[in-house]
Amino acid sequence: MLLVLSEDHKEHLSFLPKVDSAVVGEFGRIALEFLRRGTSPKIYEGAARKLSVPVETVQHGVEGLMFLMTESSKHMISEVDFLDSVLVLGFGEELNQILLQLYLQHHAQIRSILSQLPSNLPAYHNLEWRLDVQLASRPLRQQVVPTVTMRLLLAGGGDGGCSSRVLQTDPSSLLHLISTLEAALAAMKTSHARRIFRNIK
Amino acid sequence: MRFRFCGDLDCPDWVLAEISTLAKLSSVKMKLLCAQVLKDLLGDGIDYDKVTKLTADAKFESGDIKASVAVLSFIFSSAAKHDVDSESLSSELQQLGLPKEHTMGLCKSYEDKHSALQGKLRETSLRLGRLEAASWRIDYTLSSSELREVNEPIIQLKLQTQGAESGSTETTVVSVSADKFRVLLAELKQAQTRMNALQ
Repeated sequence: MLLVLSEDHKEHLSFLPKVDSAVVGEFGRIALEFLRRGTSPKIYEGAARKLSVPVETVQHGVEGLMFLMTESSKHMISEVDFLDSVLVLGFGEELNQILLQLYLQHHAQIRSILSQLPSNLPAYHNLEWRLDVQLASRPLRQQVVPTVTMRLLLAGGGDGGCSSRVLQTDPSSLLHLISTLEAALAAMKTSHARRIFRNIK
Repeated sequence: MRFRFCGDLDCPDWVLAEISTLAKLSSVKMKLLCAQVLKDLLGDGIDYDKVTKLTADAKFESGDIKASVAVLSFIFSSAAKHDVDSESLSSELQQLGLPKEHTMGLCKSYEDKHSALQGKLRETSLRLGRLEAASWRIDYTLSSSELREVNEPIIQLKLQTQGAESGSTETTVVSVSADKFRVLLAELKQAQTRMNALQ
Protein backbone atom coordinates (compact mmCIF):
# COMPACT_ATOMS: atom_id res chain seq x y z
CA MET A 1 0.00 0.00 0.00
CA LEU A 2 1.15 3.53 -0.66
CA LEU A 3 1.50 6.22 1.95
CA VAL A 4 -0.41 9.40 1.24
CA LEU A 5 1.47 12.38 2.61
CA SER A 6 -0.34 15.58 3.46
CA GLU A 7 0.74 18.91 1.98
CA ASP A 8 2.13 20.14 5.30
CA HIS A 9 4.13 16.99 5.65
CA LYS A 10 5.59 17.35 2.16
CA GLU A 11 6.50 20.93 2.90
CA HIS A 12 8.28 19.94 6.10
CA LEU A 13 10.21 17.25 4.32
CA SER A 14 11.19 19.57 1.44
CA PHE A 15 13.96 20.82 3.72
CA LEU A 16 15.79 17.51 3.45
CA PRO A 17 17.18 17.68 -0.12
CA LYS A 18 18.77 21.04 0.65
CA VAL A 19 21.28 19.50 3.07
CA ASP A 20 23.82 16.82 2.34
CA SER A 21 23.37 13.15 3.07
CA ALA A 22 25.47 13.06 6.24
CA VAL A 23 23.11 15.60 7.76
CA VAL A 24 20.11 13.53 6.70
CA GLY A 25 21.63 10.53 8.45
CA GLU A 26 22.13 12.66 11.54
CA PHE A 27 18.52 13.83 11.39
CA GLY A 28 17.45 10.21 11.13
CA ARG A 29 19.32 9.42 14.32
CA ILE A 30 17.76 12.40 16.11
CA ALA A 31 14.32 11.31 14.91
CA LEU A 32 14.81 7.83 16.36
CA GLU A 33 16.07 9.21 19.67
CA PHE A 34 12.92 11.33 19.70
CA LEU A 35 10.86 8.18 19.49
CA ARG A 36 12.76 6.49 22.25
CA ARG A 37 13.27 9.30 24.67
CA GLY A 38 11.58 12.48 23.58
CA THR A 39 13.32 15.52 22.20
CA SER A 40 15.21 18.47 23.57
CA PRO A 41 15.21 21.95 21.97
CA LYS A 42 19.00 22.22 22.43
CA ILE A 43 19.60 19.62 19.73
CA TYR A 44 17.46 21.56 17.27
CA GLU A 45 19.15 24.85 18.13
CA GLY A 46 22.62 23.35 17.68
CA ALA A 47 21.73 21.90 14.29
CA ALA A 48 20.03 25.13 13.19
CA ARG A 49 23.08 27.17 14.08
CA LYS A 50 25.42 24.85 12.17
CA LEU A 51 23.25 24.88 9.05
CA SER A 52 22.24 28.55 9.42
CA VAL A 53 18.52 27.93 9.03
CA PRO A 54 15.69 28.80 11.42
CA VAL A 55 15.08 26.39 14.29
CA GLU A 56 11.55 25.62 13.12
CA THR A 57 12.76 24.33 9.77
CA VAL A 58 15.05 21.87 11.50
CA GLN A 59 12.33 20.85 13.92
CA HIS A 60 9.79 20.31 11.15
CA GLY A 61 12.31 18.39 9.12
CA VAL A 62 13.09 16.01 11.98
CA GLU A 63 9.45 15.61 12.96
CA GLY A 64 8.45 15.03 9.34
CA LEU A 65 11.10 12.34 9.04
CA MET A 66 9.97 10.71 12.26
CA PHE A 67 6.34 10.71 11.14
CA LEU A 68 7.33 9.15 7.81
CA MET A 69 9.16 6.38 9.64
CA THR A 70 6.36 5.66 12.11
CA GLU A 71 3.67 5.61 9.43
CA SER A 72 5.72 3.25 7.26
CA SER A 73 6.49 0.95 10.20
CA LYS A 74 2.87 1.04 11.35
CA HIS A 75 1.60 -0.32 8.02
CA MET A 76 4.61 -2.60 7.46
CA ILE A 77 5.17 -1.17 3.98
CA SER A 78 7.37 -3.15 1.61
CA GLU A 79 10.50 -1.59 0.08
CA VAL A 80 8.91 -0.99 -3.30
CA ASP A 81 5.90 0.75 -1.79
CA PHE A 82 8.13 2.87 0.43
CA LEU A 83 10.19 4.02 -2.56
CA ASP A 84 7.02 4.78 -4.53
CA SER A 85 5.58 6.82 -1.66
CA VAL A 86 8.79 8.79 -1.28
CA LEU A 87 8.98 9.42 -5.04
CA VAL A 88 6.02 11.76 -4.69
CA LEU A 89 8.24 14.14 -2.75
CA GLY A 90 10.54 14.51 -5.75
CA PHE A 91 13.79 13.82 -3.93
CA GLY A 92 16.93 12.62 -5.64
CA GLU A 93 17.77 8.91 -5.96
CA GLU A 94 20.49 9.05 -3.29
CA LEU A 95 18.18 10.63 -0.73
CA ASN A 96 15.53 8.03 -1.46
CA GLN A 97 18.06 5.27 -0.84
CA ILE A 98 19.15 6.85 2.45
CA LEU A 99 15.55 7.06 3.62
CA LEU A 100 14.99 3.46 2.57
CA GLN A 101 18.05 2.27 4.50
CA LEU A 102 16.89 4.20 7.56
CA TYR A 103 13.48 2.54 7.32
CA LEU A 104 14.82 -0.98 6.85
CA GLN A 105 17.28 -0.75 9.71
CA HIS A 106 14.89 0.60 12.26
CA HIS A 107 11.39 -0.57 11.47
CA ALA A 108 11.51 -3.52 13.85
CA GLN A 109 12.54 -1.25 16.72
CA ILE A 110 9.92 1.32 15.86
CA ARG A 111 7.24 -1.38 15.83
CA SER A 112 8.25 -2.60 19.26
CA ILE A 113 8.12 0.95 20.65
CA LEU A 114 4.73 1.52 19.05
CA SER A 115 3.38 -1.72 20.51
CA GLN A 116 3.93 -0.37 24.03
CA LEU A 117 1.89 2.76 23.44
CA PRO A 118 -1.78 1.73 23.91
CA SER A 119 -2.72 1.77 27.58
CA ASN A 120 -2.89 -1.58 29.24
CA LEU A 121 -5.24 -3.17 31.64
CA PRO A 122 -3.56 -3.88 34.95
CA ALA A 123 -1.57 -7.10 34.69
CA TYR A 124 -0.58 -9.69 37.25
CA HIS A 125 2.62 -8.89 39.06
CA ASN A 126 2.73 -10.96 42.26
CA LEU A 127 0.50 -12.79 44.70
CA GLU A 128 1.26 -13.11 48.43
CA TRP A 129 -0.93 -15.31 50.57
CA ARG A 130 -1.30 -16.63 54.10
CA LEU A 131 -3.39 -19.38 55.65
CA ASP A 132 -4.97 -18.52 59.00
CA VAL A 133 -7.23 -20.35 61.41
CA GLN A 134 -9.57 -18.34 63.62
CA LEU A 135 -9.69 -20.04 67.01
CA ALA A 136 -11.79 -17.68 69.09
CA SER A 137 -13.47 -14.32 68.93
CA ARG A 138 -15.00 -12.06 71.54
CA PRO A 139 -18.54 -13.47 71.26
CA LEU A 140 -17.60 -17.10 70.60
CA ARG A 141 -14.75 -19.29 71.89
CA GLN A 142 -13.63 -22.68 70.60
CA GLN A 143 -13.96 -22.12 66.87
CA VAL A 144 -12.06 -23.49 63.90
CA VAL A 145 -12.45 -21.24 60.84
CA PRO A 146 -9.73 -21.52 58.19
CA THR A 147 -9.23 -18.48 55.94
CA VAL A 148 -6.87 -17.68 53.12
CA THR A 149 -5.81 -14.01 52.89
CA MET A 150 -4.21 -12.81 49.66
CA ARG A 151 -2.60 -9.64 48.44
CA LEU A 152 -2.74 -9.36 44.67
CA LEU A 153 -0.18 -6.97 43.21
CA LEU A 154 -0.94 -5.56 39.77
CA ALA A 155 1.40 -3.67 37.49
CA GLY A 156 0.69 -1.11 34.83
CA GLY A 157 -2.88 -0.12 34.18
CA GLY A 158 -2.44 3.30 32.61
CA ASP A 159 -0.75 5.36 35.29
CA GLY A 160 1.97 2.81 35.95
CA GLY A 161 3.25 1.64 39.30
CA CYS A 162 1.93 -1.22 41.37
CA SER A 163 -1.55 -1.33 42.80
CA SER A 164 -2.57 -3.92 45.35
CA ARG A 165 -5.84 -5.57 46.27
CA VAL A 166 -6.38 -7.46 49.50
CA LEU A 167 -8.73 -10.44 49.27
CA GLN A 168 -9.94 -13.07 51.68
CA THR A 169 -11.56 -16.39 50.96
CA ASP A 170 -12.51 -19.65 52.65
CA PRO A 171 -11.06 -22.93 51.39
CA SER A 172 -14.09 -24.05 49.39
CA SER A 173 -14.22 -20.78 47.41
CA LEU A 174 -10.49 -21.13 46.87
CA LEU A 175 -10.98 -24.61 45.41
CA HIS A 176 -13.69 -23.25 43.12
CA LEU A 177 -11.38 -20.41 42.06
CA ILE A 178 -8.60 -22.89 41.27
CA SER A 179 -10.88 -25.12 39.20
CA THR A 180 -12.25 -22.14 37.23
CA LEU A 181 -8.74 -20.92 36.43
CA GLU A 182 -7.66 -24.43 35.40
CA ALA A 183 -10.69 -24.67 33.11
CA ALA A 184 -9.64 -21.35 31.56
CA LEU A 185 -6.15 -22.73 30.92
CA ALA A 186 -7.62 -25.90 29.44
CA ALA A 187 -9.70 -23.81 27.03
CA MET A 188 -6.46 -22.96 25.21
CA LYS A 189 -6.10 -26.62 24.25
CA THR A 190 -9.52 -27.05 22.61
CA SER A 191 -9.64 -27.68 18.87
CA HIS A 192 -11.39 -24.33 18.27
CA ALA A 193 -8.58 -22.39 19.94
CA ARG A 194 -5.92 -24.47 18.15
CA ARG A 195 -7.49 -23.73 14.79
CA ILE A 196 -7.31 -20.00 15.46
CA PHE A 197 -3.68 -20.16 16.64
CA ARG A 198 -2.69 -22.09 13.54
CA ASN A 199 -4.20 -19.42 11.31
CA ILE A 200 -2.57 -16.55 13.14
CA LYS A 201 0.89 -18.12 12.82
CA MET B 1 10.78 -36.04 38.90
CA ARG B 2 9.53 -34.53 42.08
CA PHE B 3 11.92 -32.66 44.30
CA ARG B 4 11.32 -31.78 47.90
CA PHE B 5 13.16 -28.50 47.73
CA CYS B 6 10.83 -27.41 44.91
CA GLY B 7 7.82 -28.23 47.05
CA ASP B 8 7.25 -31.73 45.61
CA LEU B 9 6.99 -30.33 42.11
CA ASP B 10 9.21 -30.64 39.05
CA CYS B 11 12.38 -28.64 39.09
CA PRO B 12 12.03 -25.56 36.80
CA ASP B 13 13.95 -25.82 33.53
CA TRP B 14 15.96 -22.70 34.13
CA VAL B 15 17.28 -24.07 37.43
CA LEU B 16 18.50 -27.20 35.63
CA ALA B 17 20.21 -25.08 33.00
CA GLU B 18 21.92 -22.79 35.48
CA ILE B 19 23.19 -25.63 37.68
CA SER B 20 25.56 -26.51 34.88
CA THR B 21 26.73 -22.87 34.86
CA LEU B 22 27.39 -23.11 38.61
CA ALA B 23 29.48 -26.24 38.08
CA LYS B 24 31.99 -24.11 36.13
CA LEU B 25 33.02 -22.30 39.31
CA SER B 26 35.59 -23.83 41.63
CA SER B 27 34.10 -25.15 44.86
CA VAL B 28 35.89 -22.53 46.99
CA LYS B 29 34.53 -19.66 44.91
CA MET B 30 31.14 -21.34 45.00
CA LYS B 31 31.10 -21.31 48.80
CA LEU B 32 32.01 -17.60 48.83
CA LEU B 33 29.27 -16.89 46.30
CA CYS B 34 26.78 -18.77 48.51
CA ALA B 35 27.82 -16.58 51.44
CA GLN B 36 27.14 -13.46 49.38
CA VAL B 37 23.72 -14.68 48.22
CA LEU B 38 22.76 -15.62 51.79
CA LYS B 39 23.77 -12.16 52.96
CA ASP B 40 21.43 -10.71 50.33
CA LEU B 41 18.54 -12.99 51.32
CA LEU B 42 18.96 -12.00 54.97
CA GLY B 43 18.59 -8.37 53.98
CA ASP B 44 22.19 -7.15 54.22
CA GLY B 45 22.52 -6.38 50.52
CA ILE B 46 24.84 -8.00 48.01
CA ASP B 47 28.26 -6.70 46.98
CA TYR B 48 28.26 -7.04 43.21
CA ASP B 49 31.92 -6.09 42.89
CA LYS B 50 32.92 -9.06 45.05
CA VAL B 51 30.65 -11.32 43.05
CA THR B 52 32.16 -10.13 39.77
CA LYS B 53 35.65 -10.79 41.13
CA LEU B 54 34.65 -14.28 42.27
CA THR B 55 33.24 -15.20 38.89
CA ALA B 56 35.99 -13.55 36.85
CA ASP B 57 38.10 -16.73 36.88
CA ALA B 58 35.40 -18.77 35.27
CA LYS B 59 34.90 -15.93 32.76
CA PHE B 60 31.22 -15.39 33.48
CA GLU B 61 29.45 -12.76 31.43
CA SER B 62 26.98 -10.43 33.11
CA GLY B 63 24.10 -12.71 32.09
CA ASP B 64 25.82 -15.71 33.71
CA ILE B 65 26.50 -13.78 36.91
CA LYS B 66 22.86 -12.76 37.23
CA ALA B 67 21.74 -16.29 36.46
CA SER B 68 23.97 -17.90 39.09
CA VAL B 69 22.87 -15.41 41.76
CA ALA B 70 19.25 -16.09 40.81
CA VAL B 71 19.57 -19.87 40.93
CA LEU B 72 21.33 -19.79 44.32
CA SER B 73 18.64 -17.45 45.71
CA PHE B 74 15.98 -19.80 44.43
CA ILE B 75 17.60 -22.90 45.92
CA PHE B 76 18.13 -21.33 49.34
CA SER B 77 14.76 -19.64 49.70
CA SER B 78 12.83 -22.60 48.29
CA ALA B 79 14.63 -25.08 50.55
CA ALA B 80 13.99 -22.89 53.60
CA LYS B 81 10.36 -22.43 52.55
CA HIS B 82 9.68 -26.16 52.44
CA ASP B 83 11.86 -26.87 55.48
CA VAL B 84 14.18 -29.29 53.72
CA ASP B 85 17.05 -30.67 55.80
CA SER B 86 20.51 -30.36 54.34
CA GLU B 87 20.93 -34.14 53.71
CA SER B 88 17.95 -34.28 51.35
CA LEU B 89 18.96 -30.99 49.72
CA SER B 90 22.42 -32.41 49.13
CA SER B 91 21.17 -35.62 47.53
CA GLU B 92 18.61 -33.80 45.36
CA LEU B 93 21.17 -31.29 44.09
CA GLN B 94 23.57 -34.10 43.24
CA GLN B 95 20.74 -35.80 41.32
CA LEU B 96 20.36 -32.60 39.32
CA GLY B 97 24.02 -32.71 38.40
CA LEU B 98 25.78 -30.33 40.79
CA PRO B 99 29.22 -31.82 41.61
CA LYS B 100 29.79 -33.24 45.08
CA GLU B 101 32.18 -30.58 46.47
CA HIS B 102 29.89 -27.76 45.33
CA THR B 103 26.90 -29.47 46.89
CA MET B 104 28.73 -29.96 50.18
CA GLY B 105 29.77 -26.31 50.31
CA LEU B 106 26.24 -25.16 49.50
CA CYS B 107 24.62 -27.42 52.08
CA LYS B 108 27.06 -26.39 54.80
CA SER B 109 26.18 -22.70 54.20
CA TYR B 110 22.51 -23.64 54.13
CA GLU B 111 22.71 -25.49 57.42
CA ASP B 112 24.49 -22.60 59.14
CA LYS B 113 21.94 -20.04 58.10
CA HIS B 114 18.88 -22.29 58.07
CA SER B 115 17.08 -20.83 61.07
CA ALA B 116 18.08 -17.23 60.26
CA LEU B 117 16.65 -17.66 56.76
CA GLN B 118 13.40 -19.09 58.08
CA GLY B 119 13.13 -16.23 60.58
CA LYS B 120 13.60 -13.70 57.79
CA LEU B 121 11.00 -15.43 55.61
CA ARG B 122 8.59 -15.50 58.54
CA GLU B 123 9.02 -11.74 58.96
CA THR B 124 8.30 -11.02 55.33
CA SER B 125 5.13 -13.13 55.28
CA LEU B 126 1.95 -11.30 54.45
CA ARG B 127 0.74 -9.20 57.38
CA LEU B 128 -2.03 -6.68 56.99
CA GLY B 129 -2.05 -3.61 59.18
CA ARG B 130 0.63 -4.10 61.82
CA LEU B 131 0.40 -2.17 65.09
CA GLU B 132 3.50 -0.03 65.24
CA ALA B 133 3.11 1.99 68.43
CA ALA B 134 0.56 2.66 71.14
CA SER B 135 0.66 5.58 73.53
CA TRP B 136 -1.81 6.74 76.16
CA ARG B 137 -2.63 9.61 78.42
CA ILE B 138 -5.10 9.93 81.30
CA ASP B 139 -7.01 13.17 81.71
CA TYR B 140 -9.38 14.19 84.49
CA THR B 141 -12.37 16.16 83.25
CA LEU B 142 -13.32 18.84 85.78
CA SER B 143 -16.30 20.46 84.12
CA SER B 144 -17.94 20.93 80.72
CA SER B 145 -20.50 23.08 78.94
CA GLU B 146 -23.20 20.50 79.75
CA LEU B 147 -22.49 19.93 83.45
CA ARG B 148 -20.57 22.07 85.92
CA GLU B 149 -19.00 19.31 88.01
CA VAL B 150 -17.98 16.33 85.89
CA ASN B 151 -14.96 14.93 87.80
CA GLU B 152 -14.29 11.89 85.65
CA PRO B 153 -11.07 10.30 84.44
CA ILE B 154 -10.75 9.61 80.71
CA ILE B 155 -8.01 7.87 78.80
CA GLN B 156 -6.75 8.94 75.36
CA LEU B 157 -5.24 6.18 73.28
CA LYS B 158 -3.13 6.88 70.18
CA LEU B 159 -2.58 3.83 67.98
CA GLN B 160 -0.14 3.94 65.06
CA THR B 161 -0.80 1.21 62.55
CA GLN B 162 0.48 0.29 59.14
CA GLY B 163 -2.51 0.61 56.82
CA ALA B 164 -3.79 -2.69 55.45
CA GLU B 165 -4.16 -1.59 51.83
CA SER B 166 -1.81 1.35 51.58
CA GLY B 167 1.10 0.19 53.72
CA SER B 168 1.75 3.67 55.07
CA THR B 169 1.39 4.68 58.71
CA GLU B 170 -2.07 5.62 59.92
CA THR B 171 -2.82 7.18 63.28
CA THR B 172 -6.01 6.53 65.21
CA VAL B 173 -6.87 8.51 68.33
CA VAL B 174 -9.59 7.20 70.63
CA SER B 175 -10.80 8.48 73.96
CA VAL B 176 -12.25 5.84 76.28
CA SER B 177 -14.17 6.30 79.54
CA ALA B 178 -13.08 4.40 82.64
CA ASP B 179 -15.80 1.69 82.52
CA LYS B 180 -15.41 1.02 78.81
CA PHE B 181 -11.68 0.85 79.29
CA ARG B 182 -12.08 -1.75 82.05
CA VAL B 183 -14.13 -3.89 79.66
CA LEU B 184 -11.54 -3.45 76.90
CA LEU B 185 -8.71 -4.42 79.24
CA ALA B 186 -10.54 -7.53 80.53
CA GLU B 187 -11.28 -8.75 77.00
CA LEU B 188 -7.71 -8.16 75.84
CA LYS B 189 -6.40 -10.06 78.86
CA GLN B 190 -8.63 -13.01 77.98
CA ALA B 191 -7.32 -12.95 74.40
CA GLN B 192 -3.76 -12.82 75.73
CA THR B 193 -4.33 -15.89 77.94
CA ARG B 194 -5.60 -17.81 74.91
CA MET B 195 -2.60 -16.73 72.84
CA ASN B 196 -0.19 -17.80 75.56
CA ALA B 197 -1.92 -21.18 75.77
CA LEU B 198 -1.11 -21.72 72.10
CA GLN B 199 2.59 -20.86 72.31
